[in-house]
Amino acid sequence: MDFQGILDRLTAIRAPGLVGSDEPRKADPKDKKDKGRAGDPFAIVDAQLLSEFVRACRDDDRLHFEQLVDLTATDPSKDAAELWINVQLLSLKFRHRLAIKALLPKAAASLPSLVPVYRASQWHERECAEMFGIRFVGHPDPRNILLPDDWVGSPLRKDYEFPKEYHGISCE
Amino acid sequence: MLSLQNQFEENVLTTRVDWLINWARLSSIWPMTFGLACCAIEMMAVGAAHHDIDRFGAGAFRASPRQADLMIVAGTVNFKMAERVKKLYDQMPSPKYVIAMGACATGGGPYYKYGYTVVKGVDRVIPVDVYIAGCPPRPEALLEGLMKLQEKIRSSSVVRKPARLA
Repeated sequence: MDFQGILDRLTAIRAPGLVGSDEPRKADPKDKKDKGRAGDPFAIVDAQLLSEFVRACRDDDRLHFEQLVDLTATDPSKDAAELWINVQLLSLKFRHRLAIKALLPKAAASLPSLVPVYRASQWHERECAEMFGIRFVGHPDPRNILLPDDWVGSPLRKDYEFPKEYHGISCE
Repeated sequence: MLSLQNQFEENVLTTRVDWLINWARLSSIWPMTFGLACCAIEMMAVGAAHHDIDRFGAGAFRASPRQADLMIVAGTVNFKMAERVKKLYDQMPSPKYVIAMGACATGGGPYYKYGYTVVKGVDRVIPVDVYIAGCPPRPEALLEGLMKLQEKIRSSSVVRKPARLA
């Protein structure tokens, strides 16, 4: 199924939290500042309903996304009020993919964990949690995965300030 | 005792204690099996047949710090690893030597500016004898560093200098 077919199906089954979609487009030749958009088309989803949304994607007979390929986050800029949660789903049975984007306010970066739906998201969520300061409610093992346990701050946030020293080792 | 006469001429050498001990030390520098990043691949190449670090007596990579004389810090040291590196160094028996291999171990390398978890040089954690430039250094460069270390050992002395008389 192509993206439009997946989107139609999602609308038909009333997938919870589906807000809209965004597709790549070419640059407008008249507008020199317009660079268009490259990349994959993606569905835009309400972050608080993301877990329910991917559950619908997994359990529907015609979509059948049995695999979570990736779950990550993006901090687009220092001034942006929202983080992006990016999810990639894959159906091995029908050989189609879906990219999902959910906007999450930086001030209250918290959303329900996807682990009850896809167990594969455990490590991805732990990485997002430590790197972006996102709280995944209901995660079974919310420890740091890469950083030391006593690390302060979220390194991949654009407003992150580098530590001056760590356990007596100077970082200057 | 007559039978012992003229028996030692071909079997006895005279030398200095310093020379003998230094020769023994520099001819059997056993490194620790210990790699942190891509530099470790070059270190493995040095250990393999083509470059053959065993020519210098440093081919016996020991799996325990208790048996090792040399720590080749081959790769990026981050804060989480730095404490382990320090602990391994402390577990090595004296005399012990450290080679900082490559840009990362020498000074943070490409992670110097934006690597939030990278130690900017392993010499902030443990003392380093020889630094090797390169990213990663070629195997020949590591052998050069090893020879530099041998030169350093050759110039050291085990003889304790007598205390000055008051």
